[in-house]
Amino acid sequence: MRSLVSVACIVLAAGVAPAHAGNDTPVAPNSEQAASGRAIYQTYCASCHGANGEGAPAWRERDARGELPPPPHDAQGHAWRHSDAMLSRMILHGWRDPFNKTERVTMPAFTGTIAPQEVRFVIAYLKTLWTPEQRQFQREESQRQSFAPAAH
Amino acid sequence: MTAASRYKVSTFWIVIAAASLLANVAARAAEPIVALASGGDVDTVFIARANALYRGDDAGRRWTRVALPAEIRDGAIATLAAPAKRQGVLYLAGPGFGVWHSADGGRSWVARNNGLPSLDVAALAAHADQPDTLYTYVPGKGVFRSEDAGARWKWIDNGPRGPIGQFIHSNMPGSMQTGWLFAATPKGVSRSMDCFCLWQDAGGLVAAVTTVAYDPREPKHVYAATAKGLLLSTDGGEEWTLLSAPASRITALAVSPTGTVFLGTADGGLYRSNDQAKSWERVDA
Repeated sequence: MRSLVSVACIVLAAGVAPAHAGNDTPVAPNSEQAASGRAIYQTYCASCHGANGEGAPAWRERDARGELPPPPHDAQGHAWRHSDAMLSRMILHGWRDPFNKTERVTMPAFTGTIAPQEVRFVIAYLKTLWTPEQRQFQREESQRQSFAPAAH
Repeated sequence: MTAASRYKVSTFWIVIAAASLLANVAARAAEPIVALASGGDVDTVFIARANALYRGDDAGRRWTRVALPAEIRDGAIATLAAPAKRQGVLYLAGPGFGVWHSADGGRSWVARNNGLPSLDVAALAAHADQPDTLYTYVPGKGVFRSEDAGARWKWIDNGPRGPIGQFIHSNMPGSMQTGWLFAATPKGVSRSMDCFCLWQDAGGLVAAVTTVAYDPREPKHVYAATAKGLLLSTDGGEEWTLLSAPASRITALAVSPTGTVFLGTADGGLYRSNDQAKSWERVDA
């Protein structure tokens, strides 16, 4: 379960498709929400993505099993590239790297484990780990609604 | 002038005209093909030589030279992109003149460079499914995306470690977002989801790749050209197999919406395959 959780949070960094984990209102890095999100992150995500969102050391390369290690969620990672909707979808529904050399998922689904509102809190916390430029980029991504449906 | 002498004069000019035509065709064919594109129109392929553009209709059986603005004629075309599902729409780009857009099959052109840091554009790709979404690469500046047919560009990523020579967007399944980018680089094919989360080497191609293309009907089928020849991956770039190519020094590849593979060379040759690159026929372009 622990590994599942970590993987799940990996996806966070990766982000996924549109989807609606509640509503489409951009998630703000509100301090109260972020504080709640940090606690949830520590419970479910930190074991894989690091207590401070630092990810696995060699996350850019596949590991010995041929799987992508958990990426960072801080400014060194790529979570900031994804809209709120994608991040929410990734956390709730998971994702599997199609080039995984195993049958395991890359990021497990947290539907039923983390409530949609709690997902928003986690995202608010992640935003505190990014640079102002990254937050701006991510805000713009969240405002665009041009993602294709979850066809893949 | 007698009828006989009139006949001689006519014959003379016919011979001169024919020789001139043949010389033009030969000269044109000797110019390297720098880019190929086939997207919007099922049976249309565009080929770019350094500063000339041609449209081949009926899968390359009828050719028309496309007029270009002076800015492009004086430069050197580096890349073409034809969006899927948009008839008559074509983009071209190159160093010094940036990105240009035609919505009428090349009859008129408009520069589309708002938001780009420089006109020195090296690569351009059209989104596989979203006709107004484009990606372009400016060396030293990174990858830029437009979602309004090039009207505005936004920086999106630094790109892979090596410079991009040419790249494509593919709708191969499995992306977190809407698809993938495959880039020809001096160190192989680099692959990233279009969230630009992570560029990775696509398989073990540790050689300079001059051009890359994919089959829209079989999105996991990716073609790449190196000095060794033409390679095909049927699993999205993990494993590569060397194919029998009709020529060496491959400089451009494109696959039409119906699966016809076009291959251009540095010698100016254009080839077409209708059986997934198993056999080839030369195209007179």
